[in-house]
Amino acid sequence: MPVFAVAGMGAQVQVDDLLLEPRLRLVDSPAAANVLLIAGAVPPHLSTQLAQLHDASSRPRVPLWWSLGSSLVPPIPPMVQVHEVGPSGLVDAVVHTHRALLLGELPSSPPVLPDEDPAPWRGVGPFGQGGTGMTGGVPYGRPMAEVAPDRDGLRLDQLTVRIGPFFARFPTGLVLAARLQGDVIQQAEVIAAPEGEPAVEIDVRTPFRQALHAPVPVSVLELERARSHLRSIASALVAHQLSSLARRVLRFANQAHPDQAEDVEQLRRLLRRSQVLGWATRGVGTIPAAQLEGTATGPVARASGVEQDERAADPAYLGLGFEPVIHDGGDARSRIAQRLNEADQALKLAGRARDRYHDPEAPLESPRGRLAVGDLPAQRLLPLLPAVLEGMEWGDAVSTVVSLDLDTDEVLALRSPDRELPVP
Amino acid sequence: MRAYLEPGAAVASVAFAMAIGVYVVAVIDGTASRLVAGGGRSDLGALLVDPLRTVAVLLTQRRRRTERPDAPGWALAPGLLGGLAATGLAVVPVGPGAAVADPSTGFVVFSAAIAFVMIAVFLHGWSPNSLFPMIGAYRYGAQALSLQIPFLLAMLATALPAESLAVMDIVEAQADLWNVVRQPLGLPIYLMVGVGVSFWGPLNLPDGADLVGGTSAEDAGTDRLAWEIARAAMLVAIAAMGAAVFLGGWWGPLLPGPVWMVLKTMGVLAVLVASRHLLARVRIEPFVVACWAVFIPLALVNIFVSGALLL
Repeated sequence: MPVFAVAGMGAQVQVDDLLLEPRLRLVDSPAAANVLLIAGAVPPHLSTQLAQLHDASSRPRVPLWWSLGSSLVPPIPPMVQVHEVGPSGLVDAVVHTHRALLLGELPSSPPVLPDEDPAPWRGVGPFGQGGTGMTGGVPYGRPMAEVAPDRDGLRLDQLTVRIGPFFARFPTGLVLAARLQGDVIQQAEVIAAPEGEPAVEIDVRTPFRQALHAPVPVSVLELERARSHLRSIASALVAHQLSSLARRVLRFANQAHPDQAEDVEQLRRLLRRSQVLGWATRGVGTIPAAQLEGTATGPVARASGVEQDERAADPAYLGLGFEPVIHDGGDARSRIAQRLNEADQALKLAGRARDRYHDPEAPLESPRGRLAVGDLPAQRLLPLLPAVLEGMEWGDAVSTVVSLDLDTDEVLALRSPDRELPVP
Repeated sequence: MRAYLEPGAAVASVAFAMAIGVYVVAVIDGTASRLVAGGGRSDLGALLVDPLRTVAVLLTQRRRRTERPDAPGWALAPGLLGGLAATGLAVVPVGPGAAVADPSTGFVVFSAAIAFVMIAVFLHGWSPNSLFPMIGAYRYGAQALSLQIPFLLAMLATALPAESLAVMDIVEAQADLWNVVRQPLGLPIYLMVGVGVSFWGPLNLPDGADLVGGTSAEDAGTDRLAWEIARAAMLVAIAAMGAAVFLGGWWGPLLPGPVWMVLKTMGVLAVLVASRHLLARVRIEPFVVACWAVFIPLALVNIFVSGALLL
């Protein structure tokens, strides 16, 4: 069953795990899917884009909402609702819905948006161009390609586009406004929030969010850290077109337990042989250490050689022999290697932690960096993106964004006015 | 030109070979995927039925229209790609004197078909009037231009010992020694480039995951099905030609010639298809550099060595 899945608030992990369901096939493009799966809460400010996504999926189609405990109904009315938390209940529902759709028992969902041009035609020439000759202007609200000098000193077409907020390889809510020449990004800007929208509250119960308010066993935190890192590696594998290998890593992540040193070693060999830790990521998206000093952005900073880990100052970790792992290089390859090593370390720490508890007063190192109320790792990472992405091939840009492992929930929460994203 | 079959029979046999080949590609792909993913149970029945199920689902999807597409181009592109695959397949001999067509320039026919793949892919990316297909089309331009020369050079070397451009003669000339032994550089280059020409696995840059499907990002239903079938058929054509010109075609002990040809084609096909699950996506820029700076010189060395051995 081809399914296009949108991960809303608190649903990224569950959506990623659907890769393990043999009866579903997660597709990258809505055109390939009949079922539009909306998981968790999608904030109302994304309703127009969600409607576009719905209208772009193939008929006969059906929007299906997997609530995952959320009460915020998606901005486009779902025809089928699934309230079971387990994936097997969802898969049954999807298969059943798909069958009903094909047998005609369930009508195909009609278009949500009217069939008209998104903006009035604003042009003077016979082909809708707004300026002189064949260039310039914004016919139907979309900027036409313009010529601009490229890196080889030629003057080539430049295309202004927006990618997101439901681009399959990015966290939901991340919009990249880019100027492209061929598939080279000449200029990029990160847009996380339209103006004047109400804030979206994070209401997600992961061990790290709990640890902000209550004591949580260190072993629980470390196992969750290992899982998070392994899942991040799995999504990097999907982005590099290795979804079969990603399935293996995901299964490993879901069964993570403290004595798995051998499995980690095997995973390292697989990554090296498949070249994910090789030419596919070497030199991609290098972020110099100077840009990351003092940002406390976790594995991303440590992969650039910045020795900063909140756990080093955490009394719960004293006596566990904790020492931060660091890499140098600062590229996508080091970030994947860094996460693999940290996952390995986290599994070992979880085995040694016994009955230690993390104190909510102590600083907290989440899998993505320092986490505190109102201080999210994604907030510190997103402003780095434009400078890093400039001049990059599109494929490398995707590898880079994936290697930063941005949290969907955090990106969606970055909209509140008091957590203004400092976009340069 | 030696013709062996009536036109109707020729078309039917190529279509039959393509259909079987495409199905085999789908089954190998499913098997490799399950082997690499590990953990899950491998059910032979499911492996054999899965491709048919995918076809059924795609047949029930309605086709899509984007805003102001080039509709004829969109419909034509999979047909063109499939036609090129069929052309390539038609000149591959399966046994002594057994081929759909054996023109004295069979080698040139095959190479021309490969060269035109670029047009099919570009058309497919251009037609939907959409961003990701367009980027995919641009990318394949860079990729295909870099691949074609090493591809031709690697294949050309196989024509030297035969002193003929007819594929039948090239296979005949391998009676004593297969070209894979005579020209050890040729087959690896051919396989690498073959994956690139049929934009599969690590070299699936025009339809890549980072472009959410690239040139086929806007395809639904029969459009998508036709494109996938054409792409798989291209792999089959590449594998069959590789088996013929590098692995000695029908030559082999005990078994009859055509059986050897089928076995060798399946072997090459398995290597090509499995690459999708074993190797990460190649970055386009280093790949283009590698083609011009490494593979073309290597292919030239291959030709010079083969030529010198003949003197």
